[in-house]
Amino acid sequence: MAPTISGPDSEMSSERYGQTNRENAIDLDEVRQILSHFKYRDFQEAQELILSALQEVNEHFGWVSLDAAEVVAHHFGTTATRVYGLLTFYADFRTEPRGKHFMLLCHGMACYVMGSQRLIQNLEDVWGIADGDTTADGELTVQVVNGCLGVCDKAPICKLDADFFGDLTPETLNQAIRGAIAGGGSWRDAHHPVAAGSNHDR
Amino acid sequence: MTDRLGTRADFERFQQTARHRWEALWQGDKLIVSVGVDSSSEPKGASRVLAACREALRGTSAVVREVSGNGAMWMEPTVEIKRPGEPPVVYGWIEPEDVPALLAGDLQERAVGVRGPEAFRGIPPLDKHPFFKHQVRIVMEDFGVIEPDSIEDAIARGAYSALSKVLFEMTPEEAIAEVTASGLRGRGGAGFPAGIKWESGRKARARPKFVAVNSHEGEPNVYKDRRIHEGDPHKILEGMLIASVVCGAERAYNYIGGEYPLAIKRFRRAVADAERLGLIGKNILGSGQDVEVRVRTGGGAYICGEGSALMYSVMGVRGQPRTKPPRSVEEGLWKRPTVLNNTETFANVPAIISKGGEWFSQIGTATSAGTKMMTVQGPLKHVGLVETPMGISMRTLIDEVWGGMRDGHQFRGVQTGGVSAGPLTPEHLDYAVDFDSMTELGGMLGSGGFVVFDQHVCPVDFARYLTAFNRVESCSKCVPCHRGNPALVEILDRIRLGGGGRDDLSLMERTSKHIIDLSLCGLGQVAPMPLLGMMKMYPQDFLDHIERHVCAAGACPIATPEALATAAD
Repeated sequence: MAPTISGPDSEMSSERYGQTNRENAIDLDEVRQILSHFKYRDFQEAQELILSALQEVNEHFGWVSLDAAEVVAHHFGTTATRVYGLLTFYADFRTEPRGKHFMLLCHGMACYVMGSQRLIQNLEDVWGIADGDTTADGELTVQVVNGCLGVCDKAPICKLDADFFGDLTPETLNQAIRGAIAGGGSWRDAHHPVAAGSNHDR
Repeated sequence: MTDRLGTRADFERFQQTARHRWEALWQGDKLIVSVGVDSSSEPKGASRVLAACREALRGTSAVVREVSGNGAMWMEPTVEIKRPGEPPVVYGWIEPEDVPALLAGDLQERAVGVRGPEAFRGIPPLDKHPFFKHQVRIVMEDFGVIEPDSIEDAIARGAYSALSKVLFEMTPEEAIAEVTASGLRGRGGAGFPAGIKWESGRKARARPKFVAVNSHEGEPNVYKDRRIHEGDPHKILEGMLIASVVCGAERAYNYIGGEYPLAIKRFRRAVADAERLGLIGKNILGSGQDVEVRVRTGGGAYICGEGSALMYSVMGVRGQPRTKPPRSVEEGLWKRPTVLNNTETFANVPAIISKGGEWFSQIGTATSAGTKMMTVQGPLKHVGLVETPMGISMRTLIDEVWGGMRDGHQFRGVQTGGVSAGPLTPEHLDYAVDFDSMTELGGMLGSGGFVVFDQHVCPVDFARYLTAFNRVESCSKCVPCHRGNPALVEILDRIRLGGGGRDDLSLMERTSKHIIDLSLCGLGQVAPMPLLGMMKMYPQDFLDHIERHVCAAGACPIATPEALATAAD
């Protein structure tokens, strides 16, 4: 495996990349632990597994830091630039940490025709956050889903931590958020790794 | 744990055993409780219903099964109960706390139908329900019937017998001839004949060759492919294996959207089980054929549903399309010939091989054979996933299958073809739903997701939503799409805010033409279609915004000149 470029680059990047303070830094040993499941036999398989591995890291930590991206790049014998290019292209990845609670707000067509635009507006007006943002107090991160969450009979819907809320209005959305914040849980409660117990070799 | 099935005879013995076990279960004297758990019922508490059933029946001889939903989403969570000597009855709207009463037989008012031909104690057969009456299920045949995590269930219901037929009774040419004769066309939207594609795949001379399944399903309007993975994953797997065998591919990929954890989990389970039985891998059932199956997951980029973008994504780079030719069947994954089809296309193949292309071609219309899985969104009474013959009228679908509009909602139109085509209005509802009929109106079957909208949705705002989707999801590789769609959104915003002029309409038409003519990939080339469709079907709404500064639906922020000045900044 080719070593990745590190050194001055990573110092500069952690500053520009922000967020890598002690509180939410990603434990790179844990990343290596995740990566140890992603074994590959040849070049092709290594390339094919990069995205899956990043998904696993993203699911586990809620985001992928540049440090973590470098570890992933090293594991697959590629460059951090390439990995960062993937992180910024694919919508599911975050390059900043999640807040304490994490909401997927569906903006598929079912939700649009049933009024999800008002919900997005409400998040901006009441909570001051747009797609991808975290509230200033770090309590809530919202991600607007451009695809479809597939619960269209209950549109508009959102998934907040582990729970789904359907037939939403701005009022019920705000209630759900307040409930989650008061409830004390976090998005980690909803952490069901996609590939748990499965064979990563395929 | 069963050992690897080394020969066809081993497979047939296994199949016999599975069938006996299946019949013994359903003809036996045990209580059978089947809970439908999938991505649409799960958010409504289906797993908790399942857990409640298991808890209530612990220590009894009852069999509690985890099946998938039957597509009738509006009545989820559903539970099917079969008591000894009685037919299975499906109950809807079951909450976890309802389970004791349900098992005690006290919830007869929630009985929706009998799974079987005859009524039972006043409960009609499920197939008589308007939602199910018009359906013909090939892909969805066993949804809610088998346990998707049980390969024994699937094999008892016939899975992998078509694979065995292809391996031992047919030449690849004969198998492809059946697919060609069936008239099966690609279910992802383009409608390219599958048989012709497979033929090109077989004839391609470069080695190795690959088969790839497009299960990305990144559209905002459809949720069918993930449900095949959740309901009957072995149908997809068998279709992939058949395609690999007849095209001479040594590896088959399934690219699943990363947002669908249950679909991924159940499909991976299916692959692991099939591998264990020797239905995947080296020397399948002793035939000398090798096929490796790999599951790859996407990262939430709509563009990765485009063929070449999907392959780049599988290869671990940004999913950006390339110019064609060469087509993927000549040069696809790892620059090798790759036969790529939609999930639903592959899932139709086992039935075509088993029952013949002729049988399949009799279903549907002359140019669009077979059935189509269709999903609906919007304020309808019976929102759900259906599989009907091609050619059914839009009116039948909306008024009968999907139960008509909910109270207080007036039908305004139905958006077809996702973000790649235009809407149909009330006067067009008698058009047939198939690959060809709707195109003259600017509509499209697409992947089968229809979005019904009511008087609260403004066509200008909807056009903005659809164009904005294409703007956000543009991969940014080519300029016409990358710059053109934001330009369209900007003009639409001007109109929505009441600042539009008459020349904006022709400007949008010209800009659209540039995007259509000059974009690199198929998705870019259709990106302006929803806008053009909305302008064609609802010209008055656009004029009202421009000339009278009125939004009849009340959806647009029609505003004062001061607000406009701010918005322009």
